[in-house]
Amino acid sequence: MTQAAITPEEYLKFTEFFYRKTGIRFEESKRYFVDKRLYERIKESGRESFREYFSFMRFEASGNELQSLINVMTINETYFFREEYQFDCLVKSILPEVSAKKARGEPIRIWVLPSSSGEEAYGIAMCLLERWPGITEHDVEIISSDIDTRILDMARAGLYSQRSVQKVPGAYLAKYFKATTRGYQMVDSLRGAVEFTRVNLLDAADVRAYRDFDVIFCRNLLIYFDDLSRKQAALTFYEALRPGGFFLLGHSESMSRISALFQFRKFPDAMVYQRLEGGLA
Amino acid sequence: MALIKQTKTEPTAIDVRSIVRDFPQLQAQLHSADASQRRWAARELLEHRNSASALVDRLPVESEPSVREAIFTTLARLGDATAVQGLVECLGSDDASLRNEAIEALKTMPSEVAPVMQGLLHHADADVRILAINVLESLRHPRVEQWLIEVIESDPAVNVCGCALDLLTEVGTRHSRAPLQRLKARFASEPYIQFAAMLALKRIDPA
Amino acid sequence: MKCILIVDDAATVRMFHRAILEGAGYVVQEAVNGLEGLEKALSTSYGLFLVDVNMPKMDGYSFLEALRRRPEIAQAPAIMISTEAEMTDRSKAYAAGANFYLTKPVRPADLLLHVGIMLDGPIA
Repeated sequence: MTQAAITPEEYLKFTEFFYRKTGIRFEESKRYFVDKRLYERIKESGRESFREYFSFMRFEASGNELQSLINVMTINETYFFREEYQFDCLVKSILPEVSAKKARGEPIRIWVLPSSSGEEAYGIAMCLLERWPGITEHDVEIISSDIDTRILDMARAGLYSQRSVQKVPGAYLAKYFKATTRGYQMVDSLRGAVEFTRVNLLDAADVRAYRDFDVIFCRNLLIYFDDLSRKQAALTFYEALRPGGFFLLGHSESMSRISALFQFRKFPDAMVYQRLEGGLA
Repeated sequence: MALIKQTKTEPTAIDVRSIVRDFPQLQAQLHSADASQRRWAARELLEHRNSASALVDRLPVESEPSVREAIFTTLARLGDATAVQGLVECLGSDDASLRNEAIEALKTMPSEVAPVMQGLLHHADADVRILAINVLESLRHPRVEQWLIEVIESDPAVNVCGCALDLLTEVGTRHSRAPLQRLKARFASEPYIQFAAMLALKRIDPA
Repeated sequence: MKCILIVDDAATVRMFHRAILEGAGYVVQEAVNGLEGLEKALSTSYGLFLVDVNMPKMDGYSFLEALRRRPEIAQAPAIMISTEAEMTDRSKAYAAGANFYLTKPVRPADLLLHVGIMLDGPIA
């Protein structure tokens, strides 16, 4: 069975819808990327045409197909130093501002979600040790959470593939990893520096204890939530941050489809969100 | 100074606020002078099935955005008749952000909103009809297209029809074709309606 | 060439205004609500904002107020476009920081006239 080609009008209809839902805009140049994945979803869902598929997806009560669609349209892989410019921002702009307001001995607290297999949290730890002068004067606590206990175990174990470490600077690789036959093993001192916890972000009882954070990273997670869950998550992060605390989303994500609770701030290296009292943007 | 790890597995100390959980206390806390107390109460009230009325009553006088957001989110999660009614009443407010946040909440409650949709689409106030169409956007209901067709066939207000047109561009099928042509004729001198109707017709599958 | 930002939650309205403005040679970008509008305004320099009133997350009045609170972008002109034609709504728009107010549905000639005045100054 040959798939009927997606017409230009259908492409516009899809991209307009996707932009509205996610803020991600696919230009004409992304035709191949989008079409390929649409055909995949059309086939997977057992539909015969784009029109049939769109109608099905658009009106499906559970929203599951929309979620699957978002999943395939967004790039999910995790590796060390992904979207590194945000780490630069942390070290050059965010932490100086945060540490200036800290009382002596008061630790800086960073929450990283989802932990996935730990690349993000360990990456932040390395950046702090190697690139932030303030690490010698301040204690920093890094907590990284996920809903999936198996992946948390993986994160704690700290064993990584070549693919995962390909962007790690050579000097860091030599210092913080040991090459073994099973992969790159993170050294114990760094593994011990991050606390991995299991959390269901949408469970009020789970998140109650997460408070007084100075920085929260939540990259490429909220895009997979439905609208109400995203709002709930935004409130959770607001509550979890100290006033003045910072919140970072993934590169193609924005609070504009979620909530006006946070103040948008533009730093030289990245755009971030901040909890300010009064909530005025 | 360095990277440190707490020895206990759960971060931070005891949260005093989480101890307050009974219904009368939470209701009172909803009026606390401290915004974080009110926000906390608004979230905790989700645990109490009959809290919609207290939350709805608080909305018109709550000025702190994060508290309002917590109230709307809880109402959306409660999703009972009182919550829906209270949110629907917000649609008539003079406060633009209250109206729009209410729509946001209603949009996340499609099955609870469906029964009142017909009434809202025939509301005397054109602005409310427009807001009702905004809510329709998220309704995964078999009647959505039919309701939109009814609007473009008979609503006298050009902006109400314009709003319906915008949604039909996304969900319209061949059933909408003739009504769209009739709408074009009805508002023949209105450039936006001409543009939007032509766009909707283009987007509707020709088959 | 100055860029115009259209801030409106209705895709069809954005397309309509875009068609009119691009037809007259202007460069146009879009935002679906006040929040996205603010984020774009802080990342790109715009010559003019066309702002709808009723939008999710952040309505038009809140957007204008937020714009005027940010010194780096506070001076950019803004035309508010709304379905409401009452005097009270106009005053609200001006109080929030709009430079002008147009009623929906907008006529192409009106839009071009007032955009032209905002961007290029009054007609001689």
